[in-house]
Amino acid sequence: MPRIIACFKWVMDEADIKADPKSRQLVLDRVGYKISDYDRNAIEEAVQLQEKHGGSVVGITVATPGAKPCLKDALSRGPEKACFVNDPAFENLDPSQTAAILAAAIDGKIEYDLIICGEGSSDLYAQQVGPALAEKLGIPCATYVNKLTYVEGENKVIAQRKLDDGLETVSVKLPALITVLPDLNTPRIPSLKQVLGAAKKPVDNVSLANLQQTFEPCLKTTGILAATMERRRLKFTADPEDIRKVVDSLIKEGVIA
Amino acid sequence: MAGVWILAESREPTLELLSAGIDIAAQLGVKVAAFALSSQLAEEYIKCGCDEVMLLPPLAAGQPLESYVPVIVEEALLNGPDIILIGASQRGREIAARAAAALNTGLCSGCTGLRLDQEKKQLVMERMLFGGAAVQTVVCETRPQMATIPPRTFEQAQPAEGHQGEVRQLPAAPPSPVTVVERTPKTSEAVDITEAKTVVCVGRGVGKQEDIALARELAGVLGGEVGCSRPVAEDLRWLPEELYLGISGKKVKPDLYIGVGVAGQIQHVSGIRDSKVIVGINRDENAPIFEAADYGIVGDLYDIVPKLVKEIKAALKI
Amino acid sequence: MEEEKFAAIIVGAGPAGSTAAYMLAKAGLEVLLVEKGAAPGGKNMFGGRMYSHALNQVIPNFWEEAPLERAVARELITFLDGGRSLTLNCQDLSWTEPPYHSFTLLRAEFDAWLAGKAEEAGAMLACGIRVDDLLIKDGKVAGIIAGEDEMAADVVIAADGVNSLIAQKAGLRKKAPAPHQVGTGAKQVIKLSPEAVSRRFGLSGNNGAAQLFVGDCTKGMQGGGFLYTNKDSISLGLIVSAAELQKNKHRISDLLEEFKASPHIAPLIEGGEVVEYSAHLVPEAGLGMMPQLYSDGILVTGDAAGFVLNLGYVVRGMDFAIASGAAAARAVLSARAANDFSRQKLGLYQQFLKDSFVLRDLEAYRGAPHFLEIQRMFKAYPQFATGLVSKIFTVDGGEPEHLLGKALGQIKKSGIGWGQLAGDGWKGARLL
Repeated sequence: MPRIIACFKWVMDEADIKADPKSRQLVLDRVGYKISDYDRNAIEEAVQLQEKHGGSVVGITVATPGAKPCLKDALSRGPEKACFVNDPAFENLDPSQTAAILAAAIDGKIEYDLIICGEGSSDLYAQQVGPALAEKLGIPCATYVNKLTYVEGENKVIAQRKLDDGLETVSVKLPALITVLPDLNTPRIPSLKQVLGAAKKPVDNVSLANLQQTFEPCLKTTGILAATMERRRLKFTADPEDIRKVVDSLIKEGVIA
Repeated sequence: MAGVWILAESREPTLELLSAGIDIAAQLGVKVAAFALSSQLAEEYIKCGCDEVMLLPPLAAGQPLESYVPVIVEEALLNGPDIILIGASQRGREIAARAAAALNTGLCSGCTGLRLDQEKKQLVMERMLFGGAAVQTVVCETRPQMATIPPRTFEQAQPAEGHQGEVRQLPAAPPSPVTVVERTPKTSEAVDITEAKTVVCVGRGVGKQEDIALARELAGVLGGEVGCSRPVAEDLRWLPEELYLGISGKKVKPDLYIGVGVAGQIQHVSGIRDSKVIVGINRDENAPIFEAADYGIVGDLYDIVPKLVKEIKAALKI
Repeated sequence: MEEEKFAAIIVGAGPAGSTAAYMLAKAGLEVLLVEKGAAPGGKNMFGGRMYSHALNQVIPNFWEEAPLERAVARELITFLDGGRSLTLNCQDLSWTEPPYHSFTLLRAEFDAWLAGKAEEAGAMLACGIRVDDLLIKDGKVAGIIAGEDEMAADVVIAADGVNSLIAQKAGLRKKAPAPHQVGTGAKQVIKLSPEAVSRRFGLSGNNGAAQLFVGDCTKGMQGGGFLYTNKDSISLGLIVSAAELQKNKHRISDLLEEFKASPHIAPLIEGGEVVEYSAHLVPEAGLGMMPQLYSDGILVTGDAAGFVLNLGYVVRGMDFAIASGAAAARAVLSARAANDFSRQKLGLYQQFLKDSFVLRDLEAYRGAPHFLEIQRMFKAYPQFATGLVSKIFTVDGGEPEHLLGKALGQIKKSGIGWGQLAGDGWKGARLL
């Protein structure tokens, strides 16, 4: 019966991010937040494994205290408990810090057989925290997994990795860490009762002081600018005349010949 | 050896990173070293300007490539490189992340551009944020400075007349707790979408798999190839995954991109933003593709695409 | 958990729903507030201005904690006709002192705050949940059905907006409102610096302005434009009768773009970046579209009940929503004290609404929607007014003409009949 930790991140919804075209500064004051897309697959996989094999699922996140709404969201997706590693200092963490903080919060404090992370977060998409966390904890890892099987009685998982050059199926002794791809499963949409149930599930609050360590960043961000995309944005209708105009323009530009 | 280190899974990306590495090393006045998986490649890398090659011994049966991580980490600890550039294949990303964690240093993932700040002897690296909506510039405060770099970011290094270098044999990888039980190599697709001059891209707006024929016909008259958005490949599985475009898929730079029923999520647009001309066809006039397009045609693709084919045929007299 | 039952389930975490949930939770009831959007305020980007009086009854001095943009000091009404405009501009600084007359606000933030107050008071908030149906037992509403889940409650409060599915399911309303009963609205939030906003509208400090537009901006169709100044942005939008929009085959988004480009608006938003766009239905027909407000185990509040008043110069919705939510909460508390959730007992709700300003004001202005349906209001009168005043100010060496003559000339030009003018004037004075 695997004891599983599912890691998730509370991120800005990139669809809400706007930019000032002149200064190229991002306008972030009206963005909504969500559980990072691939982390929903991580949570879903953990919960499906538990439904099949028993055991337990703890959801863990590192965030500022303001991210509290993420707990209800995550818990409504199935984990029975959440570990909320939060501190006002945990803002704009670089991946090495997030991995180190997770390692400090997990190591010796939460018993586990399997840790599941998303392939990358939808904000930074650095794809580092999973493998870096495994390294910090000194456990093996398998990344980019699109099929995962827990082998009962053998304390291992069989994972199919989807890589640039093909598929690779690996057998990994537990405890281990897996990062998952979105095609692994379809995350459930929490039902009313699951949402209500989430409010009653226990949450462990862990602060920076509890961890008794400091976490310095390795990367320093020196600038963030909106990606520019100079396009003409001409609009046409489905009228044959309009279509002809488009085709004429494309020929003039030399992209149709 | 200190200096700039290069690590990639295969020959082409290694040569690409080598050309960038040679450039940086020259500015820093240091040497360039690369990892190689065979002595044949080692020789080629040296010819192409590499000062030292660290030859990785073959892996035992069932060992995945990532088993080299402890070897790489050990070498880095012994020699203290200034910079490690790693090819951003999926394995490369895992290796880089684990090595960076073991070395307690910073890693710029998916670095799309880099230059050297001569004064601070520091790499200034760019990468995409928020699915491609923004560009983040980072510097690494710790050493080595590490970055994973996507394929085709740089030109390949070319053989330099009579360039000399050393080959050094590294110790074997320790036994790995991860065992490969099966490998299914990707059947190589006849089509390389990244080479196409014209790309017609199928999005969720296309209602049925059969209707991809519409896009194929359009691509046909234009002499182009058909690609798709991520959900069309991953959720619907209508087209092979080699054909999906986006920040996590293929990046294309065709002369002409036509999105057919593509909504234009930022993750997709990031993969097509270097196209010369972008045409978007969508029923929803507020679809984000129109923000990213030169020519936006608002309407039903089942109406527009045949008209477009007809007009193109008429114009090209085919 | 299967046996769980709430004292009240409120569907919709807008101002009406959150107010009801807040009051009931504060009174110690087990309350469930269900929201369809991923977060309260997420779907509903409308509003923009709230008259303070109603919320001040529920949460005294709410302005000390609520996310508000600017206290409105200046009210403007502008008539538009081509290159001409005529603006009535009224500033009253007493409006910007406690208890503040009205505030501009951003619904996404405000609704989230108010729902948060309800949560703080002990209400259970469940977002991302679509309520599909009502649970009916012995012909009485006994809870809700969402997906596979049933949830029981003594009473359900429908606060689910203009197209209220709940009111329909309860049989309190036949179907969704007809096109002539709703307006289609589109709104953009345009970002500017706080200084630019204050400068362009002649506002000191963090005072705000609210401006309504009548005339060209709707191409003569029933409706109007609105503009609210936020701290560092402007909410600019149009509301046009859905029926007329359909009839004339106009698209609201095109109209809004034209409005933005017009010489009356362009300088106000120059250099601003659109950071938000939303489209929405707004109830327009006042009491005319009011459903039955209560039945066994159910109450209908806010937009769902059609509690919106459009007088042309004043557009109210949020204060009615909040007051109706509060009235519903009081009715539920009385019903609970008597352990009687029958329609007879819940009828108290209508009584509370009558005693409060909600039904009183809606009743007082009952004829306003019909009056505003008169086409002349949106084309001929703006033409007449702007033309006349422009004429008064025009010095061009032409024949002198007295004011009366100018007025008569303009009336003739605008094609308004004398009888119509007299009739509309009388109706307007009486109804508004």
